[in-house]
Amino acid sequence: MSSAPAPVALAEILARGDVWRGDALAGLSEAAIPSGHPELDAELPGGGWPRGNLTEFLVDRNGLGEMSLLLPALARLSGDGGWLALVAPPWQPHAPAWAAAGLAPERLVVVRAGRQVAWCLEQLLASGGFAGVLAWPEAGINARSLRRLQVAAEGRPVFAGLWRSTAAAVAPSPAPLRIALSAGADGLSVCILKRRGRPASQPLALEVARPGRNKRVVAGPVFSVVAAGSAAPAPAV
Amino acid sequence: MLPLEALPLRQPSSAVAARGRILACDPAAVVAGVEPGHRLSTALGLQPGLRVCERDPAREAKALENLACWAGRFTPTLALAPPDALLLEIGGCLRLFGGAPAIVDAVLAGCAGQAYSVDWAVAPTPLGARWLARTGAGIMADTPARLHAALAALPCAAPSWPDEIVVRLESFGLRCLGDLARLPAAGLRRRIGNGPVDDLLRARGELPDPQRAFVFPASFAAGLELPSRVEHAEALAFAGQRLCAALAGWLHARQLLARACTLHLTHDDGTHSAVNLRLGEPGADEGRFLRLLREHLSHLRLAAPVEALRLTADEVVARPGASASLFDRPAAGEGAAACLERLRARLGENAVHTLGLRADYRPECATSGHDPLADLPEKSPSTATFAAPRPLWLLREPQALAEQAGRPCWHGPLQFVTRSERLESGWWDEGEAEAAGDLRRDYCVARNRYGQWAWIFRDARGWFLHGLFA
Repeated sequence: MSSAPAPVALAEILARGDVWRGDALAGLSEAAIPSGHPELDAELPGGGWPRGNLTEFLVDRNGLGEMSLLLPALARLSGDGGWLALVAPPWQPHAPAWAAAGLAPERLVVVRAGRQVAWCLEQLLASGGFAGVLAWPEAGINARSLRRLQVAAEGRPVFAGLWRSTAAAVAPSPAPLRIALSAGADGLSVCILKRRGRPASQPLALEVARPGRNKRVVAGPVFSVVAAGSAAPAPAV
Repeated sequence: MLPLEALPLRQPSSAVAARGRILACDPAAVVAGVEPGHRLSTALGLQPGLRVCERDPAREAKALENLACWAGRFTPTLALAPPDALLLEIGGCLRLFGGAPAIVDAVLAGCAGQAYSVDWAVAPTPLGARWLARTGAGIMADTPARLHAALAALPCAAPSWPDEIVVRLESFGLRCLGDLARLPAAGLRRRIGNGPVDDLLRARGELPDPQRAFVFPASFAAGLELPSRVEHAEALAFAGQRLCAALAGWLHARQLLARACTLHLTHDDGTHSAVNLRLGEPGADEGRFLRLLREHLSHLRLAAPVEALRLTADEVVARPGASASLFDRPAAGEGAAACLERLRARLGENAVHTLGLRADYRPECATSGHDPLADLPEKSPSTATFAAPRPLWLLREPQALAEQAGRPCWHGPLQFVTRSERLESGWWDEGEAEAAGDLRRDYCVARNRYGQWAWIFRDARGWFLHGLFA
């Protein structure tokens, strides 16, 4: 005679991070990192950027404010003394701007990973010593590597962000949170493609920090001749 | 088995001989019927392909010392019992490891990891433990009563007394040590001498038996001859395991942490080379040494096959005290420093760096790379804050932009968002190699119709894209 399984309350099951009701958002076992945008926090499971899970950011054009979206959360992590890592960024980080955003440059590690992005990322996630890891994997990163990365991140208090192109949106991914970013009419348009919970209905329009005076477009700068000694001085526009 | 296992160049079916008799042989030889004590001619008759080596006491002593270093992780009090025994005083560290069986398991696992086979016993007296260990039965006699019972069952040949004494005892009809213990000691002393009787009393704990404690060397250097010439660097990692284990044990026993160590390779053409292992954070963890060693070896090209290894600890620091936590904490991973040092070992020293600020107006020069594992300076002086915005990303090289109707274009015409900011600096390193030189640029922020925010500048040559406001 088999003994009956111990009764488990439904509420207990729903309290787990990986089980959720279809009409609600999942909770998270680890405290999420507030994103600094209350309207975005309301749409993210756990109320912020998740720790211990991969988050994919799908973006095609750069310079939209995609990194500025993360800066409040990264500054919070850095302010708590955490290490941050940028793996294989396609450009060079400009330290004054990162420092001005509130990140400690001496704890911001830049890794030039070459063709070993996935390996580096796995080491960084599994080490447990980093609070945030952002990576720009090569286009060909496969689902198996992504699965390994997700397993490496699980249970670690690390915010793991992967930057991929929107072409990857159609391919399945083990990342529990996938977000497509594009330029909106006024600010950044954030479309949550996948999350633990009910599907998101419409993209969010978020205002992110932008340089200069946001609303006004300068008609055209007046330039003086820069290099007087050189030939063919450019005329003012 | 130590006479055999201390030797390099081991292949299946080999044996060690001393004075014409087999002293120890490996399992392949045992299967063929060879046993310790056989004459050399008998053994060769049983196993024609048997490789017989002469015993090498110097190597055995060296191997025993390396093992003693390694065993420093279990207890600080240990003694060498040449030729082939090691005595670990574990009474004081039972609580730390959670009981004698746990220590025994850890010791056996460690020895197996270094490819040493072990006979062991636990007993309250050193001599008793040695005698019991020789039986190979793995006897745990942790109280005097159990020790006496276990000793009583040992045959008279077990203590390796001179042959004539064993023969004489057998002629008395005494087969095991229990028979001996029942006889009056005074009569026994007259018949077989004082030595064996005192030994018996020492083994039973009735006479004191002080041991000379092993002194851990003041500096660490352990060598190892390889069983065969190694041509691929990766294969050295396995051999390095014994050395790393000895180093970790030595560090534990001396309460030190290693910051840098060197693996010296001796090639078969007589040349030497060295692999420097530098730890980001001083450590004493064998696994960490090994992982680091593997990374270094994986991209090492050997000029010539290697025949011997030597590991030295170059820089050591005193270990700071730390309290163990009362409650179990979940495994936290190896931490940032260990991870970074591994990344650097694989990708190169320059591939991993942290950012630093440099007081320079030229954007190319405002960022410096720092060693992430170096001791942090006292909060580097903050540079001047810029009134104008600075982008998060800079392009490696400014990218020339086309111009259309007097406006720069980047995926379509750019709209200016800010007024221009003049940067004119750097006359001092004009013309130097690798220097940014004298710059005269007007920077401004611009936006294109796709919503991309760029940092562009104009100089005498035209418009350039230099950064992205991501």
